[in-house]
Amino acid sequence: MTSNTHTGTTVTIFFEDGRKFNDQRDIKLNVNAIKTADASAVVKCGNTTVVCGIKLELAKPKAEEPDVGFLVTNVELLPLCSSKFRPGPPSDHAQVISNIVSDIVTNSKCINLKDLCIVPDKLSWVLYCDMVCMDYDGSVVDACLITLMSSLKTLLLPSVSFDVETEEIKVDTTIKTPLPVNGLPIATSFAVYQQLSRSVILTDPTAYEEEMCGGLGANLIACWNKGQLCGVFKFGGSNLSTENEKETLALAKQKSKLVEKVINICIENKS
Amino acid sequence: MGQKDDIYQNFQLRPMKCELNFLSRSDGSAILSQGETVVTVSVNGPLDIKTTSQSIEKATLEILFSSKGGKPSVADRFKENVIRQTCETAILGCLYPRTGITITIQELEDYGGLLSCAINCACLALLNSGISLHHVVAAVSCIVDETGNIVLEPEYQQVQSAATKLYFVFDSRDKNLVTGFTEGAVGEDMYLEALEKCRAASDLVFNFYRDVVTKYSNVI
Amino acid sequence: MPLDYRRFNGPEDSVSYRRFTEDYTKDYKQFLDELIDENGRRKGGREMDEARTLCMFFARTGMISQAKGSSYIELKRTKVACSVFDPREIVHQNEYSTLGQLYCEVKFAPFSCRGERKALVPDSDERALSVALKKALEPAVCRHLFPNYQIDIFIYILENDGACLPAAINAAGLALSDAAVPMYDIITASSVAISGDKIFVDPTDDEEQLAIRNHDGVNHGVITMSMLPELQQVSDYRQIGSMDADCVLNALSILEKECKKIVPYVQRVLVQNAINSFEQQKKLEEEAKEREEALNAKMEVWKSILNVG
Repeated sequence: MTSNTHTGTTVTIFFEDGRKFNDQRDIKLNVNAIKTADASAVVKCGNTTVVCGIKLELAKPKAEEPDVGFLVTNVELLPLCSSKFRPGPPSDHAQVISNIVSDIVTNSKCINLKDLCIVPDKLSWVLYCDMVCMDYDGSVVDACLITLMSSLKTLLLPSVSFDVETEEIKVDTTIKTPLPVNGLPIATSFAVYQQLSRSVILTDPTAYEEEMCGGLGANLIACWNKGQLCGVFKFGGSNLSTENEKETLALAKQKSKLVEKVINICIENKS
Repeated sequence: MGQKDDIYQNFQLRPMKCELNFLSRSDGSAILSQGETVVTVSVNGPLDIKTTSQSIEKATLEILFSSKGGKPSVADRFKENVIRQTCETAILGCLYPRTGITITIQELEDYGGLLSCAINCACLALLNSGISLHHVVAAVSCIVDETGNIVLEPEYQQVQSAATKLYFVFDSRDKNLVTGFTEGAVGEDMYLEALEKCRAASDLVFNFYRDVVTKYSNVI
Repeated sequence: MPLDYRRFNGPEDSVSYRRFTEDYTKDYKQFLDELIDENGRRKGGREMDEARTLCMFFARTGMISQAKGSSYIELKRTKVACSVFDPREIVHQNEYSTLGQLYCEVKFAPFSCRGERKALVPDSDERALSVALKKALEPAVCRHLFPNYQIDIFIYILENDGACLPAAINAAGLALSDAAVPMYDIITASSVAISGDKIFVDPTDDEEQLAIRNHDGVNHGVITMSMLPELQQVSDYRQIGSMDADCVLNALSILEKECKKIVPYVQRVLVQNAINSFEQQKKLEEEAKEREEALNAKMEVWKSILNVG
């Protein structure tokens, strides 16, 4: 039985079998489960479930950057995953999450967009990476990044021949090359709860805990990639002192190593 | 202390110019320029809002950010979120339950550090509107240049070439971090150093607030 | 198409690479040859009248923690998730409605289809499926029990390999019973694709395409039927394409049989659910008892301390 509430209340009630403040939830990862996508991954962090699928398309590069391909990442928070979200176009919250994930991916430079170019000024790959949240139980950014990176790591690009004179495109799906991915950005979410004079920091918060700490979404997201910070986002919640910040960065670093191992093992076992 | 004073001497933020009550029809407004970056903010509230978005605990904040081009984008929603969360911690919302406070931000010129300028301007407009605040906030942006130096409040050219940009917002009471986010990769030590520098530099912004308010308190 | 300001957009003129692969242009004959081998079996080794249900039916409930009831169904490669939320008041409604409403929304994942990437804005396919699902479910739910309220049913198709409407109906039926919404009966659905004299039970995406594309014969099309099996009632019948009466009758009898075949699977899931929740209840009760004992013991200690003091 896992009821993962690491009681964020001021009164010390029973901690039951809940997590400690800096424990994270179990991660389950599966790659290439969806055959209609060119690469896919499903991750479950506790209850939070995110599915990522990549669709490959071809397009002409932008005139101002003729040797650069496209990487389009979107996060969808479906009405299916929580009663907080209504049907219709993406809410502000979904857009914020989309922006954070896309920022982290660009900042970490894990995909060199020049690798996506096939013929400069003529043809390049467009990677549509759609992350859909199937179950919203907090720390969505962490889960999104895990699925996105696992999908990118398993993505195979078919070989394309482009005739410069006739502009004819031929795709051979029998020969496929993996997309080079350097680095593996891993994000860790925290919720900062104000408890009288000091603040309590909860790692990998659930949706309920996020709500208790001031609205939708985590308060602090720290992202590590190859021993470097490639994105620290702190919004709302209680204000953070330097000691607390150092502590969270260390925790995030520790977690990033662990998650990296999980992803690598999962991909190895599949291939 | 002597050492700390030294650090202070070295800080140079871009020149800030501000005018309060810039707009005549809003409850509070401000126009702020930090270097070449210019932002104007109007605050209205507390006012009536529809029942569905009311909260019985605190005032609901509504932030509208319009960019210079006027076209909405995902990045704008992100900026709105940053400003909302920052202002939410600053405003004593529990004094105005079941009401809404609208903050409208218009970008006029962006020559780097737009968001920090927007947050400072919003804070000044809130002061001007007379809405009760826990504390004021000061945003400071900085970049790490190619040689690994931290440059506070960089100029436009520096921003363009910078690999890493960092934004921090501090409160006026304990100088704790209210909001912060980064663009680009940065080492942990560098991050913490930038954080401390910006924290110290936030004093300059707070002093500026003081000057502005002193100046206007005579007029108003 | 207006630009979507709420999402990140790719370049406007991008096309799927599959357009340039060799098997993009295939005619009907090639298509048919690929689907049926010389022994009259389908690709993947199924008999013509063999539904995927029997090969692999992976269904479970309680997948989505935030929803009242949820289910997930996998028919080989067709993967469908469904969640059902608590009844809620209908907003902006002036008149009293005696019957509760069902709000159904079917959505395809952008990567769910083999060809082009699906646009993120709802398209006509999704809307048609949503309406069909609503019509199919309405007779099964005791709607008079929650007047003026609506139940939200969301279906998300992760991967589409044919028969997604029956999969959606089956998933919704499971999720509704998981959410403990009062229903008259279990609801099950199945579909057939008809192309000439061949009838594909529980068709794959290819077979569906084949049936719809076939224009040289009288009989072609896809029929989907949902049933309340215990009550022997058909709750929805949907036909795409044209076929003669004999063929329709034949298809109906096949579908009826198929719908009944699914019932034991659904029942198994539901019974397992009931057992699980019963066990969980027992566990919780035990824990509560332990806790109470611990509290009482502590109370005794305090009492004795107080008395000493």
